[in-house]
Amino acid sequence: LKLSRLSFSDQEHVTMKPMSALDSLERAIDPITLEVIRHGIISICDQIDANMTRTAFSPYIYEYKDYAVGFVGVQGELLAQSTGGMPVFVADSVGMAVKDGLEVYRRENLHKGDVIVCNHAAVQGQHLNNTVMYTPVFAGPKGNELIGFFAVNCHWIDVGGSAIGSVSYSSTDIFMEGLQLRSIKIWSKGEPNEEVYRIIENNTRFPLELLGDIEAQLGGCLLGRDLTQAMADKYSPAIFLDALDTILDQCEAATRAKIRALPDGVYQYEAFLDNDGVRNEKIPIKVKVIVAGDEMTVDFSEMSDQVKGCINSGYYGGGRTCVRVAFKYLIATDEPANEGTFRPLKMILPERKLLSAEPTAAMGLYSIPFPTVIDCIIKALEPALPERVTGAHFGTFSSLSFAGKRTDTGAVFKANDSGHGGWGACATHDGAGPFRTMAHGDTRLIPIELQESMYPFRVEEFALRQDSGGPGKWRGGVGFDKQYVLLAPCELWANFDRIGCPPWGVQGGKAAKSGQVLIFKNGKQEAELLYKTEGCPLQAGDRVRMSTAGGGGYGDPHERPVELVQRDVIRGFVSPESARDDYGVVFDDNGKASRRKDKG
Amino acid sequence: MSYAVAVDIGGTFTDLVAYDHATHKVIYAKSPTTYDNLVEGILECFHKAKIQPAEASLVNHGTTLVINSLIQRSGARAALVTSEGFRDILEIARGNRPDPFDLHYQRDEPLIPRELRLEVPERTSSKGEVITPLDLTALEKLAGEIRTLGVESVAIFFVNSYINPAHEEAAAEKLKELLPGVYVTFSTDLTREWYEYERCSTVAANAYVGPQVSTYIRQLDTDLEQQSFVGSLFMMGSNGGLLSAQRACRQPIGLVESGPIGGCIGASAYAEALGFQNLISFDMGGTTAKCALVENGRFSVNSVYYANGYIKGFPIKSAVIDIVEVGSGGGSIAWLDSQKRLHVGPQSAGSTPGPVSYGRGGTEPTVTDANLVLGRLNAGNFLGGEMRLDIGAAQEAITRGIATPLNYTGRDGMIQMADGIISIATVIMAGAIRKISVEHGLDPRDFILFSYGGGGPLHACALAHELSIPTVIIPPEPGNFSASGMLLADARIDTSKTFVGILEDKAAVPAMAEIFGAMEREAATALRAEFGTSSVFFEHHAEMRYRGQRHNIKVPVSGLKNAAAIRAAFERDYKRRYGHADAKATAEFQAVHLSTFARLKQPEIAHLPRPSTKARPMRTRRVYIGNAGGWLEAQIFDRDALEPGFSGTGPAVIEEYGSTTIVWPSDRFEIGELREIRIKCLRE
Repeated sequence: LKLSRLSFSDQEHVTMKPMSALDSLERAIDPITLEVIRHGIISICDQIDANMTRTAFSPYIYEYKDYAVGFVGVQGELLAQSTGGMPVFVADSVGMAVKDGLEVYRRENLHKGDVIVCNHAAVQGQHLNNTVMYTPVFAGPKGNELIGFFAVNCHWIDVGGSAIGSVSYSSTDIFMEGLQLRSIKIWSKGEPNEEVYRIIENNTRFPLELLGDIEAQLGGCLLGRDLTQAMADKYSPAIFLDALDTILDQCEAATRAKIRALPDGVYQYEAFLDNDGVRNEKIPIKVKVIVAGDEMTVDFSEMSDQVKGCINSGYYGGGRTCVRVAFKYLIATDEPANEGTFRPLKMILPERKLLSAEPTAAMGLYSIPFPTVIDCIIKALEPALPERVTGAHFGTFSSLSFAGKRTDTGAVFKANDSGHGGWGACATHDGAGPFRTMAHGDTRLIPIELQESMYPFRVEEFALRQDSGGPGKWRGGVGFDKQYVLLAPCELWANFDRIGCPPWGVQGGKAAKSGQVLIFKNGKQEAELLYKTEGCPLQAGDRVRMSTAGGGGYGDPHERPVELVQRDVIRGFVSPESARDDYGVVFDDNGKASRRKDKG
Repeated sequence: MSYAVAVDIGGTFTDLVAYDHATHKVIYAKSPTTYDNLVEGILECFHKAKIQPAEASLVNHGTTLVINSLIQRSGARAALVTSEGFRDILEIARGNRPDPFDLHYQRDEPLIPRELRLEVPERTSSKGEVITPLDLTALEKLAGEIRTLGVESVAIFFVNSYINPAHEEAAAEKLKELLPGVYVTFSTDLTREWYEYERCSTVAANAYVGPQVSTYIRQLDTDLEQQSFVGSLFMMGSNGGLLSAQRACRQPIGLVESGPIGGCIGASAYAEALGFQNLISFDMGGTTAKCALVENGRFSVNSVYYANGYIKGFPIKSAVIDIVEVGSGGGSIAWLDSQKRLHVGPQSAGSTPGPVSYGRGGTEPTVTDANLVLGRLNAGNFLGGEMRLDIGAAQEAITRGIATPLNYTGRDGMIQMADGIISIATVIMAGAIRKISVEHGLDPRDFILFSYGGGGPLHACALAHELSIPTVIIPPEPGNFSASGMLLADARIDTSKTFVGILEDKAAVPAMAEIFGAMEREAATALRAEFGTSSVFFEHHAEMRYRGQRHNIKVPVSGLKNAAAIRAAFERDYKRRYGHADAKATAEFQAVHLSTFARLKQPEIAHLPRPSTKARPMRTRRVYIGNAGGWLEAQIFDRDALEPGFSGTGPAVIEEYGSTTIVWPSDRFEIGELREIRIKCLRE
């Protein structure tokens, strides 16, 4: 099998209907049955989603919700997906794997009880942890009509490679990142393929957790298959598939109408990432958005080329994911993630770019550029959607990990912590947060009480960070400060970006403050600020202080009502100096606030 | 002096049920809820029922006061005192965004703003050792500061207090002493479980509602006393049990779902009386439908509740009956989106303006309007004829709003769309029932559908057919069922504690028994003191999981003496819920939960229905049931005239005050010994 991008195109299954036909969609199916099936298929996906959260073994799944559940058509087109979950997966992370499986095996060789896994870089174009598992769904009176595939994509905790968790800046090609499974039957006709299990079990650092997660993933696929089959048979497979088809057409019509309401034009923006973690060179992130009639095209022709560091991603798992996620945020917020919703969205993306890397490129931290790419698409569309856009969000993973050996059991541990940051302000209110990035979803912070009971550190402070939000008529959301004191020797891993290009404002709003990591030894601050580090050695008693960025402001800060500036100062979100310098608000000796007339 | 009285204050009406233990006489009364002074509405109900508070030995009271206060933000100005460095725990929360694509997403504001959140030097380690002693001098200074802030209450939260609450207790004592008249509450008085945000959020909420709720309870008590009431006042807790007024003042957060709980208790009491183990209670009102499970005679209780929902709200660590709620009620509005896709709810016309047919200014068609045009509701006999419904207006609204835009013409088209509105509402409600059953590994077909509320009996057969549930039961007085249920509650205290241990570790089970022993002694003493009763009983649950997992399941462990028995119970429940279990994996404990009960004197269920009336002459009406043949000639019955043993076959409509039951064609119904309607739904 060739290791190049797959031959089929994005548009293969799209039969474009002329607008007039879409406007007065003739439905073969009555509107009530249609609604009942619409509710039904999504509720099946959500039900499997809930079971995944509850049964998984690794924190990536139960805490980060690093998985997605979907029902995919007979040609690999996404028909329905669970409503929660990670945005990067909601853009369709399962369809590509099914398409590859169909190409590898051919349809006639996919049987009831077959379960296939795929994590291949040429297929998904994401880090190898993301593994899609799916099973064919057969329905009809004889149970032999293939109606689609039930699929669950989930982050496998470790698939081998050079680093714990299979993700490291030290990797410079995909082969350093672990085991690749290209469309492999892990079950065949209802029987487990023990050899495949043995390969997996012996290529992971955490066999117990991984095999537990695989059980949960398998259980989800099989239960989802049975529920989908029962639903299709209740109405007949033909009516069921007709309903799904109609749902796609309606979603397409809805998003086309949204795009049509935008002024035609070419919109662009350029930002950059600090570096790829390997070479100290800026990485340009340049986007162009073309709105023409009822179609929107995102042009990545001037995006950075693929890089040496492991922040590359493939054409589908990278570029297409980014445009779809941005499109969901800005345009198709209320429409479900399916092939129809995304039909009016096109992409121009030459080969070997940061978001269309060759399958041999390192992809461990594939989604690092995503928040910035999404921010850029939003910023580009500022003239077209001034009331809807927001200031940039903190936009970096700002993750922090401590690795070492437990003092009690001697077992190896890696404590991953995430620096949530501020989100951008919008036309109606201040920025929210701290949350994780736009690429993340319902991802919860790990409780400090849990961390302290498991890892050799104590948290001394966990507080909102003053002046981190970008000034504006509406202020950007603030980041936080979190200070740890170590109780045993550890190694520190950090990953911060957007230092040189801090989160910008919109409509005259100002930029936010970037993040940073400080280290204190013997009570003294180390000179060097850390942004990206791997395995930095620390001793017991050392302190680490993580500060995360805020979000960009919206509108001129001098238009912010004095009462709101004063409230921010009382609450400590804004310092009196920033109130004076950024907002032009000063306080007299009695604490009474007023706006300086001279603006500066 | 022998009435047991239950009072349920709802959004629209205050309901009262009084039961005379000596004569088994039962009285129902309904009066509009008086928002300005809730006590007035209660006294008005006594007046309508023609009984004096002096004649009541007992008043059980359920109220939506706590949840309304939290959602409408009408609670107290409260301060929060935390460990140094942690005042923002309340605002940072867990940093999650449950709505993945809302670019403008915001969480609800914290109940206590940052300028009212103060810090004091103190720190306990995760093992319970004191790292930094509580700084009492700083605390005194802080009390001075709090005085100038003009707050009515103070919440205290310290990191790791779940393992050693000494600092919180000491700080609470000191602040009570220094701040007379200020309501003081601390996190470990409400829960002894870990996770700092959840515990901090719980104590903040308790401080937020504390002053208002304790004032209300005291006023109610005083007003009743002035009317010569000498009995006991108990509050309906979200855990499904009664709380003493004194405990409710200290832990008002335990009343967060006080309102809808009565129906669940009633459902489990009927289950016991009728000899059923498993049922699904289904309550449909004006704006929402709620369902809960009764399994092996008990309803299940969650240990975390989200005020104003998971998407934007905040958590409360308190035992709350596991209720799934969906925005589908009689007032739910049917509407078309830009692509002419038909939706029902979650917007509701509520009771004002209400459905179009109420004639109070509503213009958008609702579920009630659809029921009316399909002949399921009787326009002339709604609420016993107290309110006339405008069927023409309902037809017009469905035609204009739904049928015409979808090209469904004429009367037939309008009827088809009205039936469609019911079908979609049914799917949404069936989804809620699936959520509490299938997702927990349970099959709804193994349950009885127990349906009440104004709209429950109208939709019960449709739901039973949708979910293949064989039996439906409609209790007497479905419209007042929540109040009736409150008469049937036990006294109950729920306590919990984080307990981390490996099941296979020899020391774990004895350690758990020891913790339960101490918890039992404490809870039993409290319950005896608060309810003046000597006999108490316990239920024990352990939160368990396989090592490495994060989500726990609650396993009943009462009477299980050794690790093998506990392991078997854990694996049985795990397998049932998730379809697989792992015989090799290590199991571990995460927390223990103790429920302590005392049974109070309760009415005999058989005497709860109203006295029967004389049957009116036989009559029929045309009723449309789309999934069962369209227009059908249905027999109409007056429920109050149906005696136990009466039986019949659908299509039938059974009318009573406050509710209407629809029986599908070929479904059989009979009146049971407790005057419940039992419907056997045949599988198509």
